[in-house]
Formats: sequence, structure tokens, C-alpha cells
Amino acid sequence: MIKRILLLRGTEILCLLLLASIPFAIDNAYVLGLLTLLTIYGILLIGLDVTVGYLGQVNLAQAAFLGLGAYAGALSVSLLGLDMLGALGVSMLTGLLLGALLAFPALRLEGPQFALATLSFSALSTTVLNEWESLTGGAQGLSLTRPALFGHAFNAPGFYWLCLILLALVWMAMRNLLASQWGRAFEALRDSPIATDAMGVSTFRHKVAGFAFGSSLGGLAGGLYAFNFQYLQPQSFTYDLMVILLLGVVLGGRKSLWGAFFGAALIVLLPNLLSNRLLFELISATGLLLAIIAGGRGWLKKTTPAFQALAPIIAMSLLVTGGYLVENTENWRKAIFALMLFAVVVGLPDGIMGFAARYLTRLFRIAPATLAKPSNLTDVLPLSPSDDQVLLELKNLTRYFGGVKAVDGISMSIQKGHVHGLIGPNGSGKSTAVNVISGLYAPTSGEILLLGHPLPHGSLFKVARSGVSRTFQNLQLFGELSALNNVMLALKDAYRIPLPMVMLGLAKKEDHRAQADALALLNLVGLKEQANVHARDLTYGAQRFLEIARALACKPELLILDEPAAGLAHPDAAKLVLIIKAIRQRGITTILIEHHMNIVSELCDVVTVIDGGRVIAQGTANEVKRDPIVIQAYLGVADDEPVIASS
Amino acid sequence: MNLDILAQMVVSGALMGLIYALIAYGFQLTYATSKSINFGQGELVMLSAFFSLTLLNLGAPYWLMVPGGLLFGAVMGLIVERACVRLSLEQKSEGWILLTIIFGLLGFSSAENIWGRDDRPFPSPISADALNFFGISITGLEIAVALGVFLIMSIIELFKRKTLLGKAFEAVSADRDAAELMGISATKTIMLSYGLSGMVAAMAGILISPITTVGPTMASALILKAFSVAVVAGLDSGFGVVIIGIFLGALESLTSFYLGSGWREAPGLILLIMALAVRPNGVFGKANIRKV
Repeated sequence: MIKRILLLRGTEILCLLLLASIPFAIDNAYVLGLLTLLTIYGILLIGLDVTVGYLGQVNLAQAAFLGLGAYAGALSVSLLGLDMLGALGVSMLTGLLLGALLAFPALRLEGPQFALATLSFSALSTTVLNEWESLTGGAQGLSLTRPALFGHAFNAPGFYWLCLILLALVWMAMRNLLASQWGRAFEALRDSPIATDAMGVSTFRHKVAGFAFGSSLGGLAGGLYAFNFQYLQPQSFTYDLMVILLLGVVLGGRKSLWGAFFGAALIVLLPNLLSNRLLFELISATGLLLAIIAGGRGWLKKTTPAFQALAPIIAMSLLVTGGYLVENTENWRKAIFALMLFAVVVGLPDGIMGFAARYLTRLFRIAPATLAKPSNLTDVLPLSPSDDQVLLELKNLTRYFGGVKAVDGISMSIQKGHVHGLIGPNGSGKSTAVNVISGLYAPTSGEILLLGHPLPHGSLFKVARSGVSRTFQNLQLFGELSALNNVMLALKDAYRIPLPMVMLGLAKKEDHRAQADALALLNLVGLKEQANVHARDLTYGAQRFLEIARALACKPELLILDEPAAGLAHPDAAKLVLIIKAIRQRGITTILIEHHMNIVSELCDVVTVIDGGRVIAQGTANEVKRDPIVIQAYLGVADDEPVIASS
Repeated sequence: MNLDILAQMVVSGALMGLIYALIAYGFQLTYATSKSINFGQGELVMLSAFFSLTLLNLGAPYWLMVPGGLLFGAVMGLIVERACVRLSLEQKSEGWILLTIIFGLLGFSSAENIWGRDDRPFPSPISADALNFFGISITGLEIAVALGVFLIMSIIELFKRKTLLGKAFEAVSADRDAAELMGISATKTIMLSYGLSGMVAAMAGILISPITTVGPTMASALILKAFSVAVVAGLDSGFGVVIIGIFLGALESLTSFYLGSGWREAPGLILLIMALAVRPNGVFGKANIRKV
């Protein structure tokens, strides 16, 4: 534990001191310029990494936010006469507000649509900067002077130190943010937005906040950029720069502060590396060698597909041969970027720092942080007394998809404390019914009442907040998060500290308590020992149990289990029965959709049978099993046999 | 206001809009089969135009240059599919966005260095003289654009509807898993769609070059508008792109007339962001149901 802190924090502090002391050792304006640019790009890329790395979206607007922040900072000095601090504040605010503004329409979008929205935004902002000549000077450019801070004018090293301090602050804020519930939510909504909402964590709020925060760092970097160069042109902030920024983040390593920093160093140094022939040949040859070694090893061990092993080698060979054939490498700058980026994206998806981090962790044997002591389960899930109250009531619920009547008038009520079975043949409408209850679909008509109050319609998030929690028939875990973090994310009412305090690192205590509570829940489903394993690496059965633990973390009034035993091996199915019994003991009402009749018989107090979107029978498990209509629905009946209707 | 000038603006803009529609149609082809599009499609348009120009300069006759250019586009489309798209689709990731952007960058840089940064004229046997229709002048080149766009779109649509291969294409678009169970190879169909999409991009390049000249940046503005058209119409909207293409072409022609040519790009970009905010599936697109 101490070794961990010493190594991780020690490296950061050492690096900071080293960077801060360089101006004392080397008195060279060019080097100082590069260092200043390094810190500015560092801030910019940390911001870009929020969307590209943590939210997992291709964001093509960061260069535009740099530009808008730069112009906003410059104009606030020349027009409003603000000093350094005020101007940087304006830059940052510009990024924050415009980022939030863009995030709202871009919110509902994923993948290509999100990339297109950000691409349009950056093209639009270039147009505006170019055409609003009265304000920005248009293509002619805008000159400005560097403002003072509290009357203190900056010389070049002074400005560099300011940038370095800001980078350190951003670094710390970001680290605190990512270690908190916010960081978990960012990653969760990338892996499964549906499950994030269903756990009562708003994808809306976190996506907007994440994007706006990343953009505000873009704006801040823009302000520093303006005061560094003291001359601005709209052409500096176009698509070309954007592609280079993406190169930085991806090459350095997504989801990593060090990766962003490394990427920034690369962007700053690359033009110099390319202009020197020998250096370029050295780099491309090293790249080829790495690609051959890594690719060859992966291919022989059959851990990487042939294409993934071969493509980086081809790209790097092109780079090496191209380097010999071409006269001036600087003219081919973009092609060189492209080939390097291609090789990294295909062959080293975690980037250079992601790779290095894994290697170094093993080398120094850095153990994962020690976990809290689990809380008492009763403190997390208090025993609630069961009475004869009706918890959930459905009144004539329908849901149509076009002409398909998936749910066609279901009325039923579920008693508090019961395990209520919901069975029926495939396609009978069970899953649609619980999807309507849990808010994934809005009902076409009908009412859903929880303790007499109507549940919100068509919003997973709002329904989850009202006390209904669920698991999914097709697992919707957050694969990139550990089992522990999956549960911690869903923990209700555990996180109250506001965002600015979180960034200052004041949420650690709260997080520690949440960790203890989450461990208690993991213990309930028998996964305490695997708390630090990534959800995607768990066995299938363990993943099913983890979904249950996660759903319990919402502290629900009503828990919906959608085919929890589907595909489970026999020992796991037996374990599942024990888990559900333990849940019932705590007084939590459960809807259990299940095909295994023995499990249903063992657990359910009442069973409702659905077919063709309607309730066809209800009673104890033994009653419905003998009901001729139920038998007919499951097995069919010969035409000549009369069907005896049950009343 | 002079109505004649207004009408002239609308008609010329609309004819330009057909090119946006054609490129957007290329996006639809690949989106239908694989839910992916080539972010380097603009570079494909430009590279095909340069390649066709080289064919002409080497002395190839016009009738040979067109199929040559189309073939080049198709091959480039296949390369994009193999190098940038297939792996990501197999991993169900969105890495193809980044990889196709990288491909575009490589194509751009290569064109810059191989053919130079200057714009070059693209000879065409069709006359650039203006013909007069009810006081609106339309050049032969513009008519050729309109005819060419409708010709290639009709051929591809006929191919999709009338041939067995085309029906496989439709089947994969409708339901990839079901099509695979029926013995249709989704991978090959996606290859086909990228080949066709590359061909459409080449056609757009050949049609537009005589009007705009050929240069490395010829497609960078074009492609943004094609994105707008595709998104506003809906990436699965079929002929909706034609209507939106014509509309956007006319709109931006009017914008540049009244606000100045610098604002020419603005309406398309604003429309795109608005469409994404209000109707993410496009004006003519179908909403899809979330499944768990």
C-alpha cells in the first residue's frame, strides 16, 4: 500500500519538479517555448481524453474549443481589459458553456452521429471565426498582448511556470474526479447506457457534464495558447489540428493522465523529429521492429488475429520504405502521422502508456489498493417487514409495436415481500411487460402503480429512482469496470458531495464508505474475493450474480430478475436459489421471470402465467402447473380435443 | 428583389445539391449493411478524380476513363473495408471512425505529394456553354451532373431489387443475423457495399471535377455537406437524400448570395446539428426500438 502511493505519487511529484526546474538549468528560448506548449497541450489532451477515453466517443470538436477559448481569452483582454486570471476564466467558461450547449443535441447520439455533430460544430466555429471580421479580424488574424496577473507581468519562464501550475491543478482535479462516482459513471455509460440509467445513474447528466468539463479544459488551454503566441488565426484550429490531437491521445494511451501527457509531448516534438532525417529513420525503424516483435509474438501465440498482427507491420514497412524514397519527409507529415496512428490503433489499442503501465505494474509488483472492510449487510439492506400491502399494481397495461400487441391488457398486483413468478412461453410478452414496468418502453396505455403512486413512464432512470431495480436477460454489465465498481456505481444515496469538492479530493471518505457497502453486497452473492476482477473477465455465472448484487445496490422496493437462471450450470442454479432466498429474507419484493419450473416452484409465492400478451392464469406454482389452459399454452393441444376452460 | 436571380440561384444550387445527394447515397450503402460509414469518403472522391484525370492525361479516351475511374473508386472502397472497417466490426467497436479518418489523412497527404497542391482543370467533352430555360441558364455540365447522378443511383437500385446478389444486400441490411442463417455471407455483402460506395464516390468526383477543378481540397467542403444531407435525410432513408440534397444546395446558394460566400457552409452544418438534436434518425428515417 505504502509502496503503491510512494511509486505512483512519487513519480508525479518528481516529474513536476523536474519540469519546473528546467528553466533554471537551460537558458534557451526555443526549449522554453516547447515546454510551454507541452503544458498547454497536456491540459488540452486531458480534456479530450474525457470524451475519447472515458466516454468512448470520437470527439472532433476539441480543436474548435481550443480556438474558441483562445479568441474568448484574447478578446476579453483587448475589449474588457481583464487580467490574466479573469481572461483564463472567460476562456474556460466559453469552453464549458459551448460544450454543454453542444452536448445537449449530441446527447442522444452515439458513434458516427456524435462524431458528425462535433465535426460540424468545429467547421461551424471556423466559419464564424473567419467571417466575424469585426470581432476576430477574420483570416488576417488577431494580435494581442499577454495580460498581467495582479499587476505582475509575465516573462517567458514565468508564463511557463503558470502553465505548469495549471497543468498540475488540472491533473489533480482530474485524478480525483476519475476516482470518484463521476469517473465510474463515465465508464459505465460507455459500456452500457441502458444499464446506467436502469441503476438510477443519469446518463444525461454525466454525459453533458463529462463533455462540458472536457471542453472547458479545451477552453482553458485555448486561453493559455493565446497568451503564449500572442497572435491568433482561425486556420490554426481546423480539422488538421484535430486529427493530430486524436493522434496524441490514442498514441499516448486512452483513459490515462500519463497517456495524455505523453501524447502532448509527442505532438510538440514530432515536427522536430520529422525534420531530422536520421532521427526519423531511427524512429520508423524502431516502430517496425516493435511491430514485428509484438505482432509476431501475438501471432505465434495465437492471441492476436492475423490482421491485427500483420497490419501494423505493413504500415510500419510503408513508413520505412517511404522514408528512403521520399526526398522531403516534412511534406509527408500527415501521411506519416496516419501510418503511425494506424499501426497504434490496430496493434496497440491501449496506446503506449497503457502498455507501459501494465508492464511497469508487473515489474514493480504494484499491488492493487487494499479494500475497505465490508459493512454489515443489515446496514446496507435493512430488513423490511412484510405485510399484506400491495406493492405493485398493473391496470390494463398494454404495449404495441406497430401491429404487434406484445402486451395486450395485463392487470395484476404483487404483494409486498413476495417472490412473484412471471412465466409463459417464449414471445408471450413477459420481457416486454417488465421492460414497460422498468421504464425502457413507455406503455401504450394502462397504469402502473407502486404503493399506490403511478410510476414514471418510459424513463429507466426515473423508474430506478422510484425504487424499481432490475437485471437483464442479456447481461448488461459494465465490462471495463471491476465487479466492485459495478456495484459501487449503483449504490443509492451514497454520493452527496458536490462536484467542485469532489475535484478537490474531498470525496474520499464517502467513497470509502460506499466501497464497504458494496463489498457487503458482493459478499451476499459470493463474489467478495473477485471484487477487483473486471466484470467482463468473470465467469458467466458470476456475471449473473454480479447483476443481482448491482441491482440490490439500488436498494429497491421491487427487484425484477429477468431470467436469472438462463444458461446457468446446475451448481450455479442452486447458488442462485440460495441468493434469491436470502433476498426474500430481507423483505425485498421480487418479480422472477424464469423458465426453469423447479426454480419457480421452489421460490415463488404466487405465479402469473402470460400468453399472447395477456394473463391466462394465476395461483401457486402447483395450481398453475395443473391448469389446462397453461398446459395448452405451453404444449399446444390437438384440434379434436375439447379444451376445458378453467374459471 | 429580382425573381429571376432568385430562381437562377435556386436552380444552380439544387443541381450542386445532387452531388451532395450522390455522396450521401454512398454513405447509405455502407450504413445499410454494416452501420458504418467511411469518414474518408471525401478523399475517395478526390483520389478518384485525380486518378481519372491522370488517365485522361495519359491519352485514354473519355469513354474509357469513366469505367476506369469507377473501378479505381471501387477498389479503394474495398481497401477501406479491409484495412479500416472489418476488424472493428468483428470486435463490435467503433474503431472504424478513427481508422477511416486516418485513411482519409493518408489519402490527402499522398494526393498532395503525388499530384501537387494546385487545382487543375478537368477537361470534359460536354460543353460548358449555358442553355436558357425560361430565363434560367443551365450549363451542359450541370445537366450532365443531374443525368449522371440519377443514372448511377438507378442502376444500383435496380441491381439491389432485381438481382440475387442485390437481394442478398437487402437481406443483410434488413437483418444481418437472419441473413447469415440463410447462408448469406455478411462479410462479403459488406465488402460489396463498400465497393459500390467507392464507385459512387468516384462517379461524384468525375461528375463534379469539370465544374470545380481537381485539387487535394476539392472534397473537404463537399463532404461536410454530404454528411449533412445523409444525416438530415436519415442514414437509411433511400431517396430521401435526393430531396434533402436539392433543398440544401438551393439553401446554401441563397445563403452565399445574401450573406456572402464565407457563410456558404453554415446552413448545412446548422441543419445537421439541428437534425441530430430533433430527429436523430433523420427526416425520412425510421426510429429504431431499443432492445435489451
